[in-house]
Formats: sequence, structure tokens, C-alpha cells
Amino acid sequence: MADTTMGAPGTAARPGLFLRNATGLVKSWSTFDAFVYSFWSINLITLGLYGMSYVYTVPDGQLLAGILLFGVLVTFLVITYAMLVSVMPRTGGDYAWQSRVLGGGLGFVLSITGWWFTLFLWAPIYANILVVQFFSPLAYTLGWSGVAKFFTGQTGIFVSCLIVLAFASIVVTLGMETYARIQKACFWIGLVGLAVVCVLLLVYSQTDFQNAFNREATNLFGAPAGAYQATIDAASKTFAGSSFGTFSFGPVLLLLPWLAFYLLWPNWGATLYGEVRGAKDIRKPFWSMFAGLWVTVAMVAVVVLLINKTIGWNFYQSANAAYWNSLFAVKDAVAPPVPIWPYPVMFAGFLVDNHIFQALLIIVMGLWFFGWAGTLFLSSTRVIFAAAFDRVLPSWAANISAKRRVPYGALILMIVPSIVISAIYAYKPDFTSVFLDATAVLALTFLATTVAAIILPWRRKDLYDASPIANYKIVGVPMISIVGVISGLFLLFMLYQWSFNPDNLYGTSLQSTPNSVKYFVATYVAAIVIYVVARVVRKRQGIDLARIHHEIPVE
Amino acid sequence: MPKVFFATDLHGSEMCWRKFLNAGRFYDAEILICGGDMTGKAIVPIVQENSHYTVSLGADRQQVEAAQVPDVEAQIRRKGYYPLQMSLERLHELDADPVKRAECFQQVMLDGVDRWMGMAAEKLRGTGIRIFVCPGNDDEMEVDDVIRRSDLVELGEGRLVEIGDFTMISTGWSNHTPWNTHREETEEALGERIEAMAKQVPDASKAIFNLHCPPFKSGLDEAPAIDADLKLMHGGRALRPVGSTAVREAIERHQPLISLHGHIHESKGAVKIGKTLSINPGSSYEEGMLMGAIVQLDPKKGIKSYQLVNG
Repeated sequence: MADTTMGAPGTAARPGLFLRNATGLVKSWSTFDAFVYSFWSINLITLGLYGMSYVYTVPDGQLLAGILLFGVLVTFLVITYAMLVSVMPRTGGDYAWQSRVLGGGLGFVLSITGWWFTLFLWAPIYANILVVQFFSPLAYTLGWSGVAKFFTGQTGIFVSCLIVLAFASIVVTLGMETYARIQKACFWIGLVGLAVVCVLLLVYSQTDFQNAFNREATNLFGAPAGAYQATIDAASKTFAGSSFGTFSFGPVLLLLPWLAFYLLWPNWGATLYGEVRGAKDIRKPFWSMFAGLWVTVAMVAVVVLLINKTIGWNFYQSANAAYWNSLFAVKDAVAPPVPIWPYPVMFAGFLVDNHIFQALLIIVMGLWFFGWAGTLFLSSTRVIFAAAFDRVLPSWAANISAKRRVPYGALILMIVPSIVISAIYAYKPDFTSVFLDATAVLALTFLATTVAAIILPWRRKDLYDASPIANYKIVGVPMISIVGVISGLFLLFMLYQWSFNPDNLYGTSLQSTPNSVKYFVATYVAAIVIYVVARVVRKRQGIDLARIHHEIPVE
Repeated sequence: MPKVFFATDLHGSEMCWRKFLNAGRFYDAEILICGGDMTGKAIVPIVQENSHYTVSLGADRQQVEAAQVPDVEAQIRRKGYYPLQMSLERLHELDADPVKRAECFQQVMLDGVDRWMGMAAEKLRGTGIRIFVCPGNDDEMEVDDVIRRSDLVELGEGRLVEIGDFTMISTGWSNHTPWNTHREETEEALGERIEAMAKQVPDASKAIFNLHCPPFKSGLDEAPAIDADLKLMHGGRALRPVGSTAVREAIERHQPLISLHGHIHESKGAVKIGKTLSINPGSSYEEGMLMGAIVQLDPKKGIKSYQLVNG
């Protein structure tokens, strides 16, 4: 029998543990690999640029300060999740943590709403990003304006939704191992693309950009001369302008809910597999999530500074204001001369007067999308499987095909509603606010997990006392509770702003978005109904769902 | 109508074993089946030095007083590790000599199983609850002898047993793993081992196949992808099927009423393979949580109901 000895840290001469060779005992994962996963979750280009295109709504909000503040606050959430991983390392993320600490029914309702029903909304959001960052700029750059206009129309958006759904389904079928390889390739090639974008923005001046923008606005979009100034003029009907140097703390706080669109997810997929000696050590999961977060924060800071330097902050925000206000039919809004979403990558490409180069840059930067979007259904599939194994959902929901291992039950439960929701997104603009709320509902799910973390030391004292974080205390109070409270307050602040901002800044205030309120109330009611019906039906079958998480007495 | 409670892969967790013994009363089950891999994977030395003891728990090395040692030992056992008090000289001796370390491991494992058999007798004698144990691939062969000596716990390995109107065959052997454990063999040999028992089954529609290794590509056999150095790949997030093709073929050929599996802790689930309900309840032994399956058998319906629980 092969075996091994392992020393405690700093005591290499003295083994702290004798291990024998046993099934499943593996060596720890590379922190870099885990970092890549976390890095993708808070995708700087795909999610980041899209989310930050809305910050024009807070013209006095200093974006760099907002990003740094968000990074600090999300770090507490990262610590909270890393501690939960440390206490319950391989149990399935939010659903398991909430179920075990808060109770099975509450855990089901919150996680099924957050990781199943809300993910329907993310399919069209992904699809819209695919249109504005890939199909539309690429088609215009190649001179295929008909294709570009198709994808910006209602049917084009719907077709893009179908493409995203097909892509996410293929990834679920291929499995994470294959997709992780694709992600790695996308990661390195995408980084090269980003470096090219940064170099272009670094070496050219703002005058160069103005000239390049004016040239390509005419060449690619048929805009009259002077499109740079015309964009600012168009925005000025509804937008007072923005200065990068303005700083005021209140508006910085108001930026946070917008930044959540991409910076709130370093803990995405916090589940780990594999029995690693020391897997309960908090440091590995913490550093992977922390590095993903702060590398992204650093990179976005560089990109924002370069946009300010070369594209011009007021122009960039004006372009965003003109595009969104025109799209949302804001009163007095005027359409910008370049009628598509202001994509900084496309703008950087304009600096090189070569359409093949510009198209290649858009394709390469499109890998930021394809290396990320494949995980759309992975969390949902996991939650649906867990609910089916708990007998809350029918057993067919967890079925997989024998030959190709396709989880067709879970995929049907994801894809069919997603197609319906996508059609609503594409053809019913009245429902826009529902999609803007997609971030808020996931934040609510995170809030429930932070509540579970806060009360864990008392509610599941046995688990907590046996965990390596039991000794982490600040003035006698468990550290997981303290970081959980800070994370919870941060999430509550954003939830308050999303729900009750008096100016409806985020387009999600409850009083202004009755469709959104109805939709989300309906999803929570649906989750409660599913759980209650399941309990009644299973009771008749002799199955008591209440006992799933009831602990067997030890003595 | 016997109600069965099945749990597996306790890996030395005394808390899980205690829960397992209480599961009969807790879930009103008349039959308890432990699916294998009972023994722990690690010894944690508690080193006596002068007037105190030192022990490494997780990432921390702690000094404790003699009075605290029982609590520390309980905490270690809870995780499935074996606490072992020793001198500093003995620690270095075990560290330096793999043979002595292997002997030490075997002794603590067999002592542990023996103590568990005693606990079972104390807890279940006179209750009418039957308890079956079938060691898994991680359990040394000598474990079987310890179980055979028990007058209450029944050894399942390699034989057909009757459970009311139903029959059960069991094996803890698996296909080859990267760890080269005690009960591994080729798919062909494993297939023959299962077939030798399966052909004794009088009625497959009332048969339980208690096979430690899950069927290949069943969804019950998804293990973390590792490289040749046993290092987790892709940040510990990628899974691949590692179950047995022989087990799958046996299930597909004989179509028993139900098949019970373990081995792959992460792959909790219940799936249908033809007419057979195949279950892997998973394992979270290191958290002291007993993951299990309750199966209500019915002579007419076969399976009246089943449920996976985290006790």
C-alpha cells in the first residue's frame, strides 16, 4: 500500500498527518485554474463594458472610485463564500448552504428562483450582448449593413437568443472539462486582443481618435462628417455631460448597482469537487476568487483610464447616453449618428484604417463572450438536479441520455421557458425592466446565503466548530458572521436602490415597473407552489420532504 | 414491506457510523446497508511532548493539555481520521518507515472497525433491525474477518442474502482506480465476480444489486478530472465518468429491481437504467453528515418509494 506523510505548514520536519492511498484523495487544484474560472465570471469585456455603458445615468459618479469601492465591498462577499466553502466544501453552493442552514423549503424557493427562473432572463441579456459586441459591429465593419440591421431588429435579437441557448446547451452536453479547455484558449487569445486594444488606446491621441471616428462613421455607417461632435450634440438633448475628474461620494455609491452587473460574481460557481487534503483550508478558494476580482478591477481601471485619455470621457458617456436614451425612447432623445452600441473595442479598431484588422479585433475580442457564455446553464442544471434528487421536482428532471450523457430533462426545463422569455424580450419592449432586475434577484439569492453564513456558527454549531474557521474571531465574534453582515449590508443597499430609488435610476424601481414586480412575485409564488405541491404529492407517496435535511441523532 | 436505509463511504467517520446505527429508528427502517469504504484515510498523530500534546488540525498546529485530548480525538474521528497518541520518537519512526506506517494503519483501521461492530451490537441488539456491511475497495481484506466475528452485523461481500421476499447480492470490488487500492480488478474480472452471484438470484425483479462501484456513464459516476499526478484539473470544477462498464453491463443484462452504489462521493443521484433504479446517495463523511437513501420495498410494486436524505 503506497502512502504518504504530510507536515503542517511551517513544520516540514514533523508530519502532521499520515495519509494512506485511498480512492478520491487528490492533490489540490492549481490556483491559476480556479482564478481563470473566477475571472471569466466577472468578465471585464463582455459584462463589464456592457454594464458600465449605463453609468452615464450617474454623471457625477467617479467610475474609478466606484470600481475600487465595489472591489473592497465584494471582497467581504468573497471572504464569506470562501468561509462557507471551507465549512461545507463539496455540497453544491447556494442551494445546499441555504437548505442546510435556513431550511429546505426556504433554500428551495430562494435558489430555484435565483438559479433557475432568473436564468431565463439572462439568456436574452447574453443574446443582446452578443448582438452589440459581436454580430452588429462585425457586420458593419465588413460592410454587411443588412445583416447588422437584421440583428438589431426584433427577429435578429430573437435569433441571437436561440444561438445563445444552443451554445449553452452544447456546453452542458460537452461538460465542463471540454469547455474548460475552450475557456483557456479564449482566455489567452482574448488577453492578446485586449493588449492590442490597450496599446492602440495608449499610443494614439484623442485627436487621432476623433479623426478615426469621423472617418469610420462615414465609411461604415454613412454618417455625415463630424460625427464625433454630432454624437455629443445628440446626447446633449437628454444628457448634461460628464467629467472624469468630478468626485462626489454620494454619486459614487449610486454607481454600485450598475457595477454589480459584472463585478458581483467572483463567487459564481463556488462549488468544488474532489477530496483534497486541506480542502477545508480557506486560502485556496479565497485566493482564486480574490485574484479573479482584483485582477479584473485592475484591468478595468486601466481600460477606463485609456478610454478617458484617447476616446474622451464626455464623448464616451455621451455616446452611451445617446444610444440608450434613443433606444428607450426617452423624451427629447435624438438618435446618434453611429446607430449602434458604443463598443470601445470597435472604437479602438477605428484607430487602424483597415477594415480587415478591425473585423479581426472584434472576432478576437468576441472570444471573451464565447469563453464565458457557455456556463449560462451550468448552475441551473446543478440546482435542478439537486431538487430532483430531493424529490421536489420529478425524477425525469435529472435524467441523462445513456449514449451522449445529455441532461435532457434539465435542459428542457431551462430551454423551453428561456425561448418564451426570449420572445417576450425581443417582441415586447414593455417588459424591459424585468430584464434589468435580473441582477437584483441574484443579489437577493446571495443575500440569503450571507444570512446563512451569519447565523451558521449558532444554527449549525456542530459544522462550524469542526471547521478550520472556528478559530477566526474578531473580539470573540465569529469572523464569518462579521464579514457576512458587511456583505449583507452592501447587498441590502443595492437591493434598496434597485427597488426604491426615487428617480428610477436603474429602471427597476418597484413603483415604476409593475410588470417587473408581477413577474418576480409570480416566480417566487411559483417556487412556493412547486414546493408545497411536491410536499403534498410526496406525502401521499409515503415520502416526507421535511426530513431531507433532518439530522439523525448521534447518540 | 421492508424499508431499507442505505449509506456508504463513511471512511472512518465515527459520527456518521453512529448516525447510521440510529437511522433504523429515525427512518423506521428494518434493514440497514452500509455500502463499503468504512475505513478512514488518515492518521492524525497527537504527539506527547513534556506536559502537553501537539496536533495538526487542518492548516493549524495546536498545543493542547491532557484534559483536552479526548475532545480533540472526538473532533478528529468526526472527520473520519484516526487520532493516535504517540511519542515524538514514534512519530519519526512512522515517518521514516513505510512498512511500520502500513502496519500501524492496518492496526488502527481494524481496531476502528472492531469498535464499530461493538457499537452496532450495543445499539441494535434486540431491535429486530438487520444490518449488512460490505467493505469497499478502500477497505483492507482483513476487515472482512472483523465483520465476520460480529454476531450482529452481517457481511454482504460475495454472497446472496434474503431480505424478506427480496434478495441482495453485494461486492465492494471496483474497476481499477489511480490509487491502486485493495479491491480493484479488471472490468472482465469484476464482471465475472458479479455474474457468479447474479446467476444465483431467483427473481431479478425482486433483487437488490449492492455494488460499490457505480455503472459507467450513469451520472452516478462523475468524479473530478485529475491528471497523472492526481492533481485536480480545471480548478477542481471538471467532472468525468469513472464508473464500471462491468457493473453497467450486469445491470443492463439482469435488470434488478434496484442497484445501490457509492465510491464516487460527489455523484449523488438516482437514475433509471432500463427497469432498474440505480442510486448513489453520495458521501459527506468529513462534515459528519450521513447521506443516505431510504427505499420502501413492496412485494407487489417492487419499489413503493425512495428518498435521498442528508441526515
